Amino acid sequence: MNDQSIFVGAVAYDPKVVTIWEGMREHFREQGVPMDFALFSNYERQVETLLKGYIDIAWDTPLAHVRVKHRTGGKSLSLAMRDSDCGFRSKIVTRKDAGIRALPDLHGKTLAVGSRDSTQARILPLHFLKQEGIDLASINVLAFDTDLGKHGDTGTSELDVLAALHDGRAQAGAVGDLIWVAEQSAGRVDSNKVEVLWTTPDFDHCMFDALPTLPQEKADAFRRALFAMHWNDARHRRLMELEGLREWVPPREEGYQSLVAALTAAGEL
Amino acid sequence: MSSPGAGSTAAVAIDGGDLPLGGGLLALVRPALDLLRPGGVLAVLSSSRSVNEDLLAWCRLERHEYLGSEALPDSRTRYLIARGRLAGVQGDREHSVHLPRREGRLLTSDLLAAVPMPERADNATGFAPRGAQVEPGGPQYPFSLTERDRVAPPEVGQLYDQAVAAQWDASRDIPWNKVKPLPPALERALGQIMTFLAENELSALYVPSRFLPRIHPAFVEVAQFLATQLNDEARHIDVFLKRARAGGGGVGVSSATTSRSLLSLLELEDFTEAAFLLSVLGEGTFLDLLRYIERYAPDEATAELTRRARLDEARHVHFGLAHVRHALAHDPALYGRLEAAVRRRAATLHNVGGAPSHLQDSLTILAAQDTSPAAVRQGQEAFRELLESMHEQRLKRLLNAGFTPGQAQTISDLHTPNFM
Repeated sequence: MNDQSIFVGAVAYDPKVVTIWEGMREHFREQGVPMDFALFSNYERQVETLLKGYIDIAWDTPLAHVRVKHRTGGKSLSLAMRDSDCGFRSKIVTRKDAGIRALPDLHGKTLAVGSRDSTQARILPLHFLKQEGIDLASINVLAFDTDLGKHGDTGTSELDVLAALHDGRAQAGAVGDLIWVAEQSAGRVDSNKVEVLWTTPDFDHCMFDALPTLPQEKADAFRRALFAMHWNDARHRRLMELEGLREWVPPREEGYQSLVAALTAAGEL
Repeated sequence: MSSPGAGSTAAVAIDGGDLPLGGGLLALVRPALDLLRPGGVLAVLSSSRSVNEDLLAWCRLERHEYLGSEALPDSRTRYLIARGRLAGVQGDREHSVHLPRREGRLLTSDLLAAVPMPERADNATGFAPRGAQVEPGGPQYPFSLTERDRVAPPEVGQLYDQAVAAQWDASRDIPWNKVKPLPPALERALGQIMTFLAENELSALYVPSRFLPRIHPAFVEVAQFLATQLNDEARHIDVFLKRARAGGGGVGVSSATTSRSLLSLLELEDFTEAAFLLSVLGEGTFLDLLRYIERYAPDEATAELTRRARLDEARHVHFGLAHVRHALAHDPALYGRLEAAVRRRAATLHNVGGAPSHLQDSLTILAAQDTSPAAVRQGQEAFRELLESMHEQRLKRLLNAGFTPGQAQTISDLHTPNFM
């Protein structure tokens, strides 16, 4: 154990997370930045552990990021995010035979949504529908509360939403844009049955969070090692493919405003 | 609906009709983007409403740049996409090459001339065929033979073409019904000779196969040629063992000296050394041995199978000579290494005084055709002439490979009396 090493927390939403962070630790070591990691089973525990100062940095979902920001009075440090975390959107997808031509047609229909802690498949699509004037009470919400605590990372609840649309248990559904186009891209969406109706405004996704007490040199070293990863380098590419990015990018805060508003409105912040 | 980029000029345009993104449109969009360099712009015409919602998200997923869209007067929409710098493959697609047809045949040697081998191959291209656009970021492969001049003689395309045209069937192409009962001593002698041949051909099957997975696929014609060589050896093993048993003689003795000699070939770690010791010296010497057996063959079947095997072996010798000649021309230090390899092998076989006695006796009886003392005297003379001609032919082949007369003499003298 090295007290100088940077201690990072991540949530083990899938066995591949071990592969990713073992590889990241090796990459950081090659960069001369000692780093170790702890894996959590859920984001709530990870956030509490960060706030107590037991870990230096947490790899957080947008929900966890917004909570850390709130609990530190806005003083937490945002260190970096993936290119894929920027400009996220959710999709309202419908069955073609459901007669839904516009958002108001959702009234009286069954809308499948993902886990209650999934930003892209539940919290924000419902928030944005409300903003569009849709009365959520008039919609029959079919919820797939799978993998709670993982904040939608597993993607399981979004695949449940698409399955419910295909087999007719729901007439509409909410999913993240990346899973929607990735499923289409892989030929797993029957475009005779299911199509996109509406796209939400954009929002941002995951973030590396730290307490404001993180020494400047650790923050700098962490970012330096992270940004030294390159997509076209075979050693890095395997990790980047697993983690779902092609480039690490500097942080930005404006992409979390809609989530803050949604959580505030729900009395959850 | 329009955005600042929508007025740009597109280099390529595709008409997507009313295809949804996941309902066929991507099968048009992805190959079109592959033809562009990073930054190159693709225009997509579409009348599908869902494409309007999905194309931007797909560009985000694949790291292409969505430049915007504009409505056309005919109610279609024109979308513009710039190929992303981290998206897809790098470099250009292979240009079309001219491939002549020769009496209707498309020869590998012509293909090789049109798509030549690189001087040095990159282990990051793995099993990608030569000329393919290789996506960056792939793993490193463990090929150790990555330099053209250490692996691939210029003649390899022609030799491969000849090899595939010359394949034959050991079951069908030998007049097996011409095998007639022989005097028992002659039949046993023939069985012993066939045993020795099959044992040596087993080594000729195993030794090159060790090097095949080390050859970088950029030099695939070498691997293809070796595959024909391995197939030849498999057929020879088959045909020799069939002849050993077809007349009732059965297989004979495997001597410890032969076994020791062949193990020293199997233990070679260098491709050029192996080509030299196995193909130039070993199989070269075998040509003389096969010619001898063919000449004294007691029946048509034996004559035909040794003739066919000899023609195959001549091709292997040709490849080995070309390989060594080409390598010697590009590496002046190679001669020293090859001589050292021959010396090392000779040292491990120091107690081998001559050809294994079972084989020597059998070759004598074969040439004698009879066990009468007068015939055996002639057979003994024929065997002595065989040894002489083996030495002479070996010298010729060594000179042909590019050795000086002095070097050739040294190496030939050191070569194992075990023939292979």
